[in-house]
Amino acid sequence: METGDGDTGNKHNRNGDIERSSVIQSSVGRRRFLQAVGASTAVGVAGCSGGGGDSGPITLGAAYILSGFASLYGEEAERGIEFAKSRINENGGIDGRDVEVLVRDTEASGDTAIQQIRSLVQEDNVDGLFGLDSSGVAQAVAPQISQLQMPFMITHAATPFVTSPQGEHEDSVGNEYVFRDSNSLAQDIYGAARVAEELDATEWATIGPDYAFGYETWDYFQAYCDGLGVEAEFTAEQFPALATGDYTPYISSILDADPDAVLTPLWGADLTTFIGQAESAGWFDQIDHTLFSVGMGTDLPSDGSPIPEGEYASTRYDPFVPDTETNNSFREAYYEEYGTLPTYNAEGAYRALYLYKEAIESAGGTDPSALVDEFTGMEHSGPVGDYQFSETNQATVASIWGTVTYDDEWESNVLDPVNRYEAGPDVLSEALGDSDLPAGI
Amino acid sequence: MSATGIGGRVSQFGSAVAEGWTRERFGLIGAVALVLITFGPPFQVYLFTDFLVVALFALGFNLLYGYTGLLSFGHGLFYAGGAYGIAIVLRDLGPIIADIVGAGISPLVTFVVGGVVGLVLVVVVAVPVGWLSVRLEEIYFALITLAFGMLGYSLIIQDPAGLTNGTDGVIVLLGTVDLGGTSIRIGGRRLYYVISAVTVVAATYGVWRVVNSPFGTVCKAIRESPDRAGALGINVRHHRWMTFIISAAIVGIAGVLRAGLASVASPGLTHWSTSAIAVIATVIGGATYFYGPIVGAFIFLYIRWAISRFPTLEAYWELFFGVLLIAVVLFFKQGAVGGLYLLRDRLFGEGDIGGANGGGGGAFDAGSQVTTPPDEEAKSSNGDVRTDRGDNS
Amino acid sequence: MIGIADVVIGLSLGSRLFLIAVGLSLIFGVLGVLNFAHGGFYMLGAYVTLAVISNVIDNFWIAAVVGALAVGVVGAAIEFSAIRRLYDRVDSDLDQLIVTFGFVLVIHETVRFIWGSGSYSIDPPDVFNFSVSLGGSTFNAYRLVAIGLAVAVLVGLWLFITRTYFGSLVRGTSSDREMAAMLGVDVPRLYTGVFFLGSVLAGLGGALSAPLQATSPALGDQVIITAFIVVVIGGFGSISGAFVGAMLIGMMQSLGPQFISSGSIAIPFLAMVIVLLLRPEGLFGGIGE
Repeated sequence: METGDGDTGNKHNRNGDIERSSVIQSSVGRRRFLQAVGASTAVGVAGCSGGGGDSGPITLGAAYILSGFASLYGEEAERGIEFAKSRINENGGIDGRDVEVLVRDTEASGDTAIQQIRSLVQEDNVDGLFGLDSSGVAQAVAPQISQLQMPFMITHAATPFVTSPQGEHEDSVGNEYVFRDSNSLAQDIYGAARVAEELDATEWATIGPDYAFGYETWDYFQAYCDGLGVEAEFTAEQFPALATGDYTPYISSILDADPDAVLTPLWGADLTTFIGQAESAGWFDQIDHTLFSVGMGTDLPSDGSPIPEGEYASTRYDPFVPDTETNNSFREAYYEEYGTLPTYNAEGAYRALYLYKEAIESAGGTDPSALVDEFTGMEHSGPVGDYQFSETNQATVASIWGTVTYDDEWESNVLDPVNRYEAGPDVLSEALGDSDLPAGI
Repeated sequence: MSATGIGGRVSQFGSAVAEGWTRERFGLIGAVALVLITFGPPFQVYLFTDFLVVALFALGFNLLYGYTGLLSFGHGLFYAGGAYGIAIVLRDLGPIIADIVGAGISPLVTFVVGGVVGLVLVVVVAVPVGWLSVRLEEIYFALITLAFGMLGYSLIIQDPAGLTNGTDGVIVLLGTVDLGGTSIRIGGRRLYYVISAVTVVAATYGVWRVVNSPFGTVCKAIRESPDRAGALGINVRHHRWMTFIISAAIVGIAGVLRAGLASVASPGLTHWSTSAIAVIATVIGGATYFYGPIVGAFIFLYIRWAISRFPTLEAYWELFFGVLLIAVVLFFKQGAVGGLYLLRDRLFGEGDIGGANGGGGGAFDAGSQVTTPPDEEAKSSNGDVRTDRGDNS
Repeated sequence: MIGIADVVIGLSLGSRLFLIAVGLSLIFGVLGVLNFAHGGFYMLGAYVTLAVISNVIDNFWIAAVVGALAVGVVGAAIEFSAIRRLYDRVDSDLDQLIVTFGFVLVIHETVRFIWGSGSYSIDPPDVFNFSVSLGGSTFNAYRLVAIGLAVAVLVGLWLFITRTYFGSLVRGTSSDREMAAMLGVDVPRLYTGVFFLGSVLAGLGGALSAPLQATSPALGDQVIITAFIVVVIGGFGSISGAFVGAMLIGMMQSLGPQFISSGSIAIPFLAMVIVLLLRPEGLFGGIGE
């Protein structure tokens, strides 16, 4: 059924790749099922078992979109997880213990995600959580995380409100358990406004998905343009539903408004579909500049229509910048393994495992509150560069925007030239000017 | 029923439990089970709460389908109505209520007020929607309720009044009650389970009373033959309207519980595919039995959960229910509860036990005639040639 | 400002709706079955077409015909094996609705099993894959082809129903099944035939729309409700009604984004409620009109 219908929450748990053979998994399933039947006929109650101890593997739970229009994000994250896991386990694991990851499908639905995460914590007794692709899902999940009292490292979902402490804004749901290792919409769109500053364009429009992420992108963009003094008029906006399938009417409506430039946060298969249909409607001839705020995350893994060269796109991680040993070796090894450049989803998930490794080793165990203490204010370094967790648990990573260029060597689109805009707390607050939107950092 | 004193009732109940597989024994076991589940592992408590909520949703739906023969594909509207009612009260009125009653107890008061508002909202919507919908029958009724449900979906998504927060829905935070140093989280798994269990049992009992009242008997007459009921002087449309409203209210209660359980009131609740969950659960459980939707909801949630534990099958649970749905309608219209009765008859023989306990499961058979009291032996209706469902095996 | 492209896009959206709604309407008009799985048939048509193009023969038109016929066979098999068992029940129409809903789930999951849950898109056939610029707006030439084909189906179907012997049997059976049976019409075979025809049309709709939209398993669920609206507005069983209704909704979908205002996506459902209450037989008449 469609996205967002999740009423009772389905649990398409996918086993994190190579660990636990399916045989073991299904016998566990059967045992638990019998327990359930037992409980319902009042034959007694089985206690929680396993996990959380000091020996045996460390189990982490992850929740990503593994089915539907945005499944490619989950697939990328799974690669990053698998890659990090095998690297960690080959090099002595975490404090000598192997790490296992259980990956579950959120189906891009908050309801389902909550049930999956609850099941990971209460059924599988995981030691830590990470993941999430969708802002709407993250917003619904964050309050639950503080109830479960388990650290959650968001690796992709971008809404600033999950790293804005509850009470700061009416939509803020940030709390001490929720962290984010990737850049937020507030950071990303700051970069978009900086790009807009340089462009010869005054009339701006947007076409984005019909939920928080689409609207927030547009709100922040307008606020930044205002704060940075960018001369811009905002002339048209379209918010088609997720998984629309046919964007032509919306495309046509934007073209009729004839803006100079468009900022689009469409993502997943929706973006691929949009690009194909925009091309045949003459979009890229008519509109001078199109800024794809989630562009590279979709462009690299998708085999559909690529983003046309010369347009602008952002990423939360660039495989070439910073030009450090860590980043270069990560890119080379990843390319060797999968034959594609790493996307930011893969890198964010990859880094989450290393963040847990560092926190667990430093805390000397997997006690959730000790891990939360470790993550709080942690300084860390990974392929994306050096960064620190801010007061609101947001990584102080840069906003990365560049021009889409096809690269023959890597046989895919890359950002070249690419700009990194530092997007720390002070920069963002200042750029937001008088707006009441939180910087989320 | 002659014993009036409490002691007499207790001893009567005790002997009824000891006597055999009577209704009392089932009731006692059920009550003990409900209490024991409170102490189960957290996830199982959660799953069981989920089951109770879906069961109430399906039960409310079946009041209309099983008892007046009207198939609604839009009951998600009332499910969402209850959920949004409480969600909006929690979001917008929480601080105001805290000012009035004090911060300590306010989450509890807000929860209760929200529940009542959700229920009232659903009834207010159901009165006109029901009045219009019952003008139609059969497939046309299914279509108009589908249209009303999707109309609600569109309005919630587009949010013209600025209340529903569009596609993202409204987050539900139940809060913590602070009283003299002790604090209790309303949304805590076990407490929320207890709240849900008490509510669902009470609502189920209420539905059971309605079904077994003269009103319920008239409903059944209408289902068997609207024309004949009309000829007997029953105002068919009026009865259907009233049933529609009660049915919607029950679904609204389930919606209120759903919001707290899921922590979010999302527009998907009123999408037709959510309405379809009630149809699936009811048909699989057996629409002609009072407890059919409950058993169907149990099957729906627990089979789905069991499937989810098997990585190779997990993604295709809908296939399983699709096949089951087709098979039940084609070959075994009595559904799971009918199957259980059949099994019992096979095991214990046709006559004796069936006679004593026909109503034990709260069953009333599809073919119950207009004049048949529901507690009477289910089989009395097997000779009814007008039976349209449930008796073809 | 309404451009020519908006109109062309609206009509092409309407064309694809027509192909699915007309089969739905035909089946309801003759058999009395509201086929919930009709959206699934439409989706299946798109998938089979894509599969034939990428695995068997790289010719869109052949693949589309194969896709449509394959869906027809699936539809006929469903009618023959499941729906047929229900005609004699007292409340058969609700049972049929539930059974076809069961097939919605089965088709959806089978497609996901075979092709995954991602989405696919293909280019229109090369001959028509160019942009047309008219009055300052641009659209793909294939849209005109899609509209033309829908009109051809409308005319062909109308001639078929009103001018052929089979058509007269269909009309006769739809108005009085018992009488037709007494006059020697093989009603069960006729029913299977009509179900086959309706399914072929849905499959054809899916196949012809494949170049205009992303094909994903959710396609069926999205389109079936819109098709219900079209059938209700146009009238159950009415071919011309389905055409007018489809074009109306298509134009609404195309122009809606330009005049966006709160509540605009609610309008089709509101229209459906009003038509059901005031004119349950639809705005147009029955079969053959």
